[in-house]
Amino acid sequence: MSSSPNPSSKDNFWVQLARYSQLGFILPAATLVGWLIGVGLDKWLHTTWLYLLGLLVGTAAGFVELIRIVISDSGK
Amino acid sequence: MPEQLWITEILNRALARPVDVLLRALHVAPHYPQAPISNAVAMQLLVFLLLVVVFAIVRSLLSVDRPGALQHIFEGVHGFITHQSEEIIGHHSSAYTPYLAALGYYILVSNLIGLIPGFESPTAASPSVPLGCAILSFFYYHAQGFKHSGVKYLAHFAGPMPVLAPLMVPIEMISHLARVLSLTIRLYANMFAGDMVTLVFFSLVPVGIPILFLGLHIGVSFLQTYIFVLLVTVYLQGAVATEH
Repeated sequence: MSSSPNPSSKDNFWVQLARYSQLGFILPAATLVGWLIGVGLDKWLHTTWLYLLGLLVGTAAGFVELIRIVISDSGK
Repeated sequence: MPEQLWITEILNRALARPVDVLLRALHVAPHYPQAPISNAVAMQLLVFLLLVVVFAIVRSLLSVDRPGALQHIFEGVHGFITHQSEEIIGHHSSAYTPYLAALGYYILVSNLIGLIPGFESPTAASPSVPLGCAILSFFYYHAQGFKHSGVKYLAHFAGPMPVLAPLMVPIEMISHLARVLSLTIRLYANMFAGDMVTLVFFSLVPVGIPILFLGLHIGVSFLQTYIFVLLVTVYLQGAVATEH
């Protein structure tokens, strides 16, 4: 989601800390969520391959969010 | 039967039957029909009641001329959250302060109440408690996004280029759901680990050393509350931000 953060928040150490604390969690969390959605869809639609697609999209989502967090801080 | 705190036992003795009936009406079979209320639920009720009582006392003691210690503390916390959200979201952030402050108080008291002997921290007792806070925050910031931008809020999920929308929508959906999971795991894991470390050292060296870990646990409680509230503020800022 592209947004325009308030410029005054850029120097606050604690805000940076909270933002960066996401880095360790967001990639595995997104991968897990993608995989779970895939498994759910597999059960619902009686397929056997959607979990793999969910895993890939979840990993991609994790990377997108990760890069977004890093860029939003370094780009200020 | 699961291990119950004294407060859970009292609640189960008084309310087990109506809670069972309610759960069965919702097609949920309780694991222990004699004790359907868990420690986490009992402690959450206690935290809720404690906050209501404290706020009622603060409300009754409010004074412009001679503010008391409690009023100073609560005004300080409110001012801190207001300042923080104004810094991150902008000048229209005051509408979100009540939610952020309530969330902060609830998580902080939930984290700290486990330090009192005979009680258990609900955030460390079950991942469903931080999950509840995370899901509520997830719906709250999306609702505020819709309130702020209307249907155009959905365009946030499509990415900057319409051609990439079919790819970006599932990616955005997953990354938003991952925020819920990340908020939940961060709070639960930190509080659970803090509890475990204190317990382990208490069983090894019952005098002196555990105090250090209790101090650490207090620090972690404040820090995790701060991070949770701050991240919800950052997500709110993303939802209500004006696109450039």
